[in-house]
Amino acid sequence: MGDLPILKRTLAVYTGLFIVFLYGPFVVMGILSFQAGPEGGPQFPIIEWSTYWYRHLFGLTEATRIAPLPIREALLRSLTLAFATTVVSTVLGTLTAQAFRRNFRGSGVIFYLVILGMMVPGLLLGLGQALVAQNLGIDRSWWGTAFVLHVVYTYPFAFLVMLAIFNRFDPRVEEAAWSLGVSPAVTFRKVTFPMVFPGVLSAMLFGFTLSYDEFPRSLFTAGSDVTLPLAIYGTFAVEIHPNIFAFGVLSTLFSFTILAIYGLLMAASVRRARIKASGIQEDEA
Amino acid sequence: MLELQGLSKRYGTEVALDDVSLVVRDDEYLTLLGPSGSGKSTLLRVIAGLETPDAGRVLLDGRDIGALPTHRRGLGIVQQNYALFPHMTVFDNVAFGLRFRETAPVADPSEVDRRTRATLDLVGLTGFETRMPGQLSGGQKQRVSLARTLVTEPRICLLDEPLGALDANLRERMTVELRRIREALGVTFLHVTGNEAEALAMGDRMIVLDRGRALAVAPPEEIFAAPADTRVARFLNAWNLIPGRAGADGFEVAGEAPLALPAPAPQAQTYGVPYDAAWISRDPAPAPGEGVLPARYVASEFLGSKVVYLLRRADGKVFEVERHLSREDPETYAQDETLAVRWRLADVHLFDGAGRRIPLAPAGAPA
Repeated sequence: MGDLPILKRTLAVYTGLFIVFLYGPFVVMGILSFQAGPEGGPQFPIIEWSTYWYRHLFGLTEATRIAPLPIREALLRSLTLAFATTVVSTVLGTLTAQAFRRNFRGSGVIFYLVILGMMVPGLLLGLGQALVAQNLGIDRSWWGTAFVLHVVYTYPFAFLVMLAIFNRFDPRVEEAAWSLGVSPAVTFRKVTFPMVFPGVLSAMLFGFTLSYDEFPRSLFTAGSDVTLPLAIYGTFAVEIHPNIFAFGVLSTLFSFTILAIYGLLMAASVRRARIKASGIQEDEA
Repeated sequence: MLELQGLSKRYGTEVALDDVSLVVRDDEYLTLLGPSGSGKSTLLRVIAGLETPDAGRVLLDGRDIGALPTHRRGLGIVQQNYALFPHMTVFDNVAFGLRFRETAPVADPSEVDRRTRATLDLVGLTGFETRMPGQLSGGQKQRVSLARTLVTEPRICLLDEPLGALDANLRERMTVELRRIREALGVTFLHVTGNEAEALAMGDRMIVLDRGRALAVAPPEEIFAAPADTRVARFLNAWNLIPGRAGADGFEVAGEAPLALPAPAPQAQTYGVPYDAAWISRDPAPAPGEGVLPARYVASEFLGSKVVYLLRRADGKVFEVERHLSREDPETYAQDETLAVRWRLADVHLFDGAGRRIPLAPAGAPA
């Protein structure tokens, strides 16, 4: 081990640090979530290991001066919002990418207009949206003004994912279907869509995760009924208890579950694709 | 009957099709030979409605189908890379058109089943119904692709280099198969290829396309025996073309004694001798009715049924001689040995300055 070249050793240290910084916060959060309650605070040392704060989260402990986290409705809102955002931005992204398969007049400009949604700083966009809403007399709400901004934000991601997928898609498969007398609409449903479905899954994953923990755009546009990230942020203003950490652990586990489902679906579709492989690219001269 | 009238198509400054007119008859096998970039795939795509021509009309049974989208033309296209639906079984691939086409889809599952199986049987793929495209060999994919098109009974079946991705062995087998299948169904095949042997072997008629222009349309035997143009002769890869000019004593070639002409043709600028019409001799003496050219032996290539001898003319250009072994045994010559290539004048064709074949009437020359 002593002969390890200097470069390798540097890279190993770098990688180690990277992992510590990546997982450190989560590990600390995980440990502190098992702090004793209700007297234990969000700091070391651990007075006693307990699941008190998890029970507190679900209202299973005796009432104390520490109020339960006001996140139940916020969680529901965020999930609903993320789901709606996912559906809308994936549909829009897929259709836009489909349009971009052919060159059309102004495609360059429209491309950058779409991409702008993910480039513009979210806080400014949120503020601008709030001003517009105010001037037009529209009430700000998570399902209205915030929803629009979430779509504006996630739609370019879905679009870019689908653009990459369609880039590798062989249009001759569609042409073959048309030449059999099948209309373009049916061809899209029966041939194109099943073939690009793994890409659609990725686009959906992007949409969901981006929207679920979106903060700056929601801050000014969600109105009085806040989304989950805003609700959590709101609790910081009062006093921090380990129940937030307990919630953080649970919500991280939830994200992992979503990722695992995505991974399984993807693996299944890749496995299917491998068996079927392609009657396409491989034999090309 | 499919009729093309003055089709033109350009991409930017590049001409893909230049005033192509053509009649495709019912129940024929038409091959379209052209080098890559000759516009042959573009022509197919224009007919199928996958590209819009800049000028010209496409008539099917006298009806202008130029404005119809691909799926309403009733023409089938077999793509070069097969373009199978990778997420469907062989059966579903073939049944796809019957089930989902816009006009007269077949709703009765037993009817779909019967016709799909009949077509799979025709292409020799019975028993492969539940396979996925990834589990098939190149030749099998090719057959599925063909079956998928044929089951919908297109008026004309357009094939874009259908054998291009197959190995030589399989290619030869599929050549016979394609002709058999076509004759069984009586459907017209328009087969695009860059391979001259394929175009000659398969077509009832063949078209030679170069730089977007149709150079020749005739039965393959005619095109092979008397190419209309030096470019056609070059694509056939069966002609020695010697540049020079007609003079008083014959056809004058730089650095050689003049070659005997089959007939007076003052405008001749290219002298064409088929590979397989020439033979090699050690006797350089001129003889009546024969052409003689001294050449040095370079190499020979044994091809099973024939031997190709490569010789070098005085100006350094290669002269090919093809001898079929059914007629004689292969000869061996020494490297750089000076030999005489001989041919009958009756087999010679002359071409003018524009590359067009000069019709030769007298002295026993073919018309």
